[in-house]
Amino acid sequence: MPGPVLPTETLLGAWVAAGLTLFIYSFLYKDNPLFKLGEHLYVGISVGYSVVLAWHTVFLRLLWEPVKKDIIENPAALGSYVLLIPAVLGLLMWARFIPKIAWLSRLAFAFVVGFGSGVAIPRAVSSYILKQIEDTVNPLVIRGADGLSMGFNLASPQSGVNTIVLVIGVVSVLFYFFFSVEHTGPGRVTARTGIYFLMIAFGAAFGYTVMSRMSLLIGRFSDLIKYASAEYGYAALVLLALTVLALAAWEMASRGRHAV
Amino acid sequence: MKDFARRMIGIDRRIIFLLIAAAVLLPLLRPFGLPIKISPEVRAVYDYIEALPERSVFLLSFDFDPSSKPELEPQAVALLRHAFRKNLRVIGMTHWLTGTGLADDIFSRVAAEMGRERGKDYVFLGWSPGAGSLVIAMGQDLYKAFPSDYQKTPTQGMPVLEGVKSLRDVNYMVSLAAGNPGIEMWYVFGKDKYRFEMAGGSTGVIAPGLYPFLRSGQINGLIGGLQGAAEYETLIKRKGTATAGMDAQSATHFVIIVLVFLCNVFYFVLRGEEGKSN
Repeated sequence: MPGPVLPTETLLGAWVAAGLTLFIYSFLYKDNPLFKLGEHLYVGISVGYSVVLAWHTVFLRLLWEPVKKDIIENPAALGSYVLLIPAVLGLLMWARFIPKIAWLSRLAFAFVVGFGSGVAIPRAVSSYILKQIEDTVNPLVIRGADGLSMGFNLASPQSGVNTIVLVIGVVSVLFYFFFSVEHTGPGRVTARTGIYFLMIAFGAAFGYTVMSRMSLLIGRFSDLIKYASAEYGYAALVLLALTVLALAAWEMASRGRHAV
Repeated sequence: MKDFARRMIGIDRRIIFLLIAAAVLLPLLRPFGLPIKISPEVRAVYDYIEALPERSVFLLSFDFDPSSKPELEPQAVALLRHAFRKNLRVIGMTHWLTGTGLADDIFSRVAAEMGRERGKDYVFLGWSPGAGSLVIAMGQDLYKAFPSDYQKTPTQGMPVLEGVKSLRDVNYMVSLAAGNPGIEMWYVFGKDKYRFEMAGGSTGVIAPGLYPFLRSGQINGLIGGLQGAAEYETLIKRKGTATAGMDAQSATHFVIIVLVFLCNVFYFVLRGEEGKSN
């Protein structure tokens, strides 16, 4: 029994998504016009979408509508005009495009840099430095019901043995980046230890990156398998055949041009 | 042996692409159901949500865009299913402009599937500029930061936001992040200042950098990549796209490990030859 017919916009979306996925993956064969089409569409649509959404959210919702409402309701109150201050500062940024008054943009940038630094520095020091140092100097032994004890469980991040590993790692990596002293004797051993810790960290990061990239591939393949069903009009299969044919035609045309 | 090693080292890269494609496609078409082990960091998120009383306020920030959809959409779906099943009030938002439409689509789809009502059980606030400044503004007054939701409905008076004035009234928050602004920004400007409990869900690429925050208790749990999403799906006993992709993930990892091993063998076989030619 045939399933329910999908709405036209869903079908159209599936065909576009399947086609653009195949166009982008065609780069794995070699750079070609289909890939270029997909790439340019991606850039254009992303920018267009961002501009429209930013216009509606920032200009209309956060500036135009509240200012209009406040001025109509209470035109005499100074508070009704307060949003015009950031609006003017924002407009000053555009002054960079007019060389004669480009200096005006510095006022806006000074405000952004000053405000941004003031807000970010105390919070960053608290979160990235103080909290992390606090966690680096965990107690080695814990006083429990049975007296003092030290954890040897490697799987537990808070165990005593992991605290030792953490301290060795932090100190040796910091020493590796300390270039005022020549790395000889005990210093060489410490710096070498730091390199090993760094290599393990890079390995873990690379492993996660591979996993992440494979996940993206799996995601696209899952969608292509879904779009290859009869429900979607065999979109992925039809478009795969068309993409291969188009690539073959383009390849033959290119060879013909080179032969001439 | 050396001839073979030389041929293999110079193999056309497209053959490797085909191998990877086969390693993805075959398990997706014929899954072999490898077991999924739950990690403590994913269980911590599940346990915290499980322990929340009904109608608690759960804030989910979709800090990603469509390019990270395969990893973070399954996490979002699993978390929303869990939150709606627990009858929590869910507030959604995004710091990523290009992810707004995707986030609204995921929210609406899962809410409809779970029979939840917009405005009463959940609200999607959409995107607003500012990142860290926006979080601070939400910590002072949620309604000034978001006077209306994504559908342009005024937030003031919404049943889902009853009793919620600022971030201090949020019981739990999870940022699903593909980069910055994301989990770190939410911790730095949100949790550290307004004292709510939070966790993170991330792409695999940024997950290793978040473990120091997990260890220090700055976040109480971490769902990392597709693997993390599959673990969460297992915990809520509702298999989804992440679980379906795990066999393919294992198969591709196996192929990559074999290729790395072989490449090293061929490299060592040819190393002496390079020395002679030099």
